[in-house]
Amino acid sequence: MKTLFIKFMVLLSLALSLNTQTANAHGEKALEPFIRMRTIQWYDVQWSTQKFAVNEEIIVSGKFHVAEDWPVSVPKPDAAFLNISTPGPVLIRTERYLNGKPYTNSVALQPGGDYSFKIVLKGRLPGRYHIHPFFNLKDAGQVMGPGVWLEIAGNADDFRNEVKTINGEVIDMETYGLSNGIFWHIFWGALAAGWLLWWVRRPLFIARYRMLQAGLEDELVTKQDKLIGKVILIGVPLLVLGANWMTINQYPKAIPLQASLDQILPLSAQVNAGVVEVDTLKAEYRIPERAMTFLVKINNKSDKPIQIGEFATANVRFLNKAVSMPISDNTDTMIAPEGLSVDNPAPIESGEERTMTIIAKDALWESEKLDGLIRDSDSRIGGLLVFYDSSIGERFISSITAPVIPKFN
Amino acid sequence: MSANLKKQFFQPYTGEKARISRAYDYLILVLALFLFIGSFHLHFALTVGDWDFWIDWKDRQWWPLVTPLMGITFPAAVQMVMWEKFRLPLGATLCVAALSIGTWIARIFAYHYWNFFPINMVLPSTMLPSALVLDVILMLSNSLTVTAILGGSAFALLFYPSNWPIIGMFHEPVQYANGQLTVADLFGFQYIRTGMPEYLRIIERGTLRTYGQYATPLSAFCSALLCTLMYTLWWYIGKWFATVRYLTKI
Ligand SMILES: [Cu+2]
Repeated sequence: MKTLFIKFMVLLSLALSLNTQTANAHGEKALEPFIRMRTIQWYDVQWSTQKFAVNEEIIVSGKFHVAEDWPVSVPKPDAAFLNISTPGPVLIRTERYLNGKPYTNSVALQPGGDYSFKIVLKGRLPGRYHIHPFFNLKDAGQVMGPGVWLEIAGNADDFRNEVKTINGEVIDMETYGLSNGIFWHIFWGALAAGWLLWWVRRPLFIARYRMLQAGLEDELVTKQDKLIGKVILIGVPLLVLGANWMTINQYPKAIPLQASLDQILPLSAQVNAGVVEVDTLKAEYRIPERAMTFLVKINNKSDKPIQIGEFATANVRFLNKAVSMPISDNTDTMIAPEGLSVDNPAPIESGEERTMTIIAKDALWESEKLDGLIRDSDSRIGGLLVFYDSSIGERFISSITAPVIPKFN
Repeated sequence: MSANLKKQFFQPYTGEKARISRAYDYLILVLALFLFIGSFHLHFALTVGDWDFWIDWKDRQWWPLVTPLMGITFPAAVQMVMWEKFRLPLGATLCVAALSIGTWIARIFAYHYWNFFPINMVLPSTMLPSALVLDVILMLSNSLTVTAILGGSAFALLFYPSNWPIIGMFHEPVQYANGQLTVADLFGFQYIRTGMPEYLRIIERGTLRTYGQYATPLSAFCSALLCTLMYTLWWYIGKWFATVRYLTKI
């Protein structure tokens, strides 16, 4: 009995923790590095503001490239959901766009595809929260985009969320159907309580057990009980069907829950657009130095000289100090301002093909748990290599990928 | 000793003995209520789970199939004990009432106050009409077979019509993002659930779809058939649990 009780308590606490998972599942670094680096490659993520009030709307927008080298162990993104990590609905999502198209469901993403997104959020509960855009990938997990701390001011009671149904009726989402639902629960609850009290008012367990053993069954269930039973047997189904019929007539336009996916095609190529071609020949990770060395062959087909400005992966940005491009990033993306160096700093001329070494070096490899790659079953790295022309006017992005060789000393 | 003799010599408890016996009744009832609130609610949350948590999961195909099937389990077992040992036809109603109490507590505290969801997004469903009918069928028939077949079927068939008055208005269409959604779907889109992407909803999938508009009645009849089997199974589970070992000396 004691062990049963303990088991029950364990199960109960388990169920409770399941309930609360939505509140705390952040898991930015929990996912294997190869998934974070080679699935959704975020860039240019911007939040319109970080301080706002209840009922005010903010916008998070940005772009992402879906890696060509999608890990074989992750199912293809046939149903991907662009989500927001929040501790419950402290804000609501009022609009969401992919490549300029409004959409509400999941979509199929194409590996190699480029997308831009925009999500409009409306403050609901005052407080300070860490919020990310992220992708729910089927059977893979949550690939987080860059997060920010949002501060919502104001009063929760002021929150309004009114929506117009297709009939033109304006409804308040916060209370719609609540009193009707409570009414039916109370209605059936009262009938059930009546039935229970009908029996409970008499002597119960010991008395009835003894009488049953003594063969006094007829006294346990009386004629009156049976009459009430018959009334319930006929009356309850009639009530159920009647109320059901009335509801059907009251809402003749009701439709089933919608279950379709949205169909949105990628933008014309933004990353790997064929202007600057990059072939990654080799990647080595030196553990003591926390440095990733890439040997890359670059072919500049643009009409301008270009320089390597940045390597970005899994919300970490390694910047080349020698190229002073503007960093407009108000998110919590980890930035290594001097993290990127190249063996030949001279700009790559138009039409030039050059093989060069790029080193991305910073403790962030370790603190962001990206170095776990070398011990994983899939130790291929992926990320975005960003080139700028010499006047920092134009940007070319390549999504690179290579197996990583660990170097222990 | 023949049954008639037994009847003749039966002495109901009086005085102090009757009072103690009555106190014992209340003790058992209160304990049973808490036990069922905890265990049945847990069982339900783990088996039916999301289908019953969220307004945008209460679909016309899987929800009316799964919910009664998992909902008839405890009622069958408790009915067996209450009826066979005490001729009390209230097992199902007691269980489902306890489940309703547990569910409401969870929705209000865990979902609304703790995780900030509006209560209308997580309105519980009701199985009380189904349970009442199940109890009276057992009382009037005094038969496992009849209750399993008629009661089990009624339990499943009454489920969707009992709940449509609660959820029907959430199926009103809304024009949104260049398409139409139900109000329920809109809850799923607007009120952010981090751990629950839209594609996780298991609605309108599988072979039942072939019958198009008749998805719900088909699901309900399928559930009715399975409920008869489930009822019988859990009746015997109840029988296996209910031992009179400790009652022999009374
Ligand atoms: Cu965060």
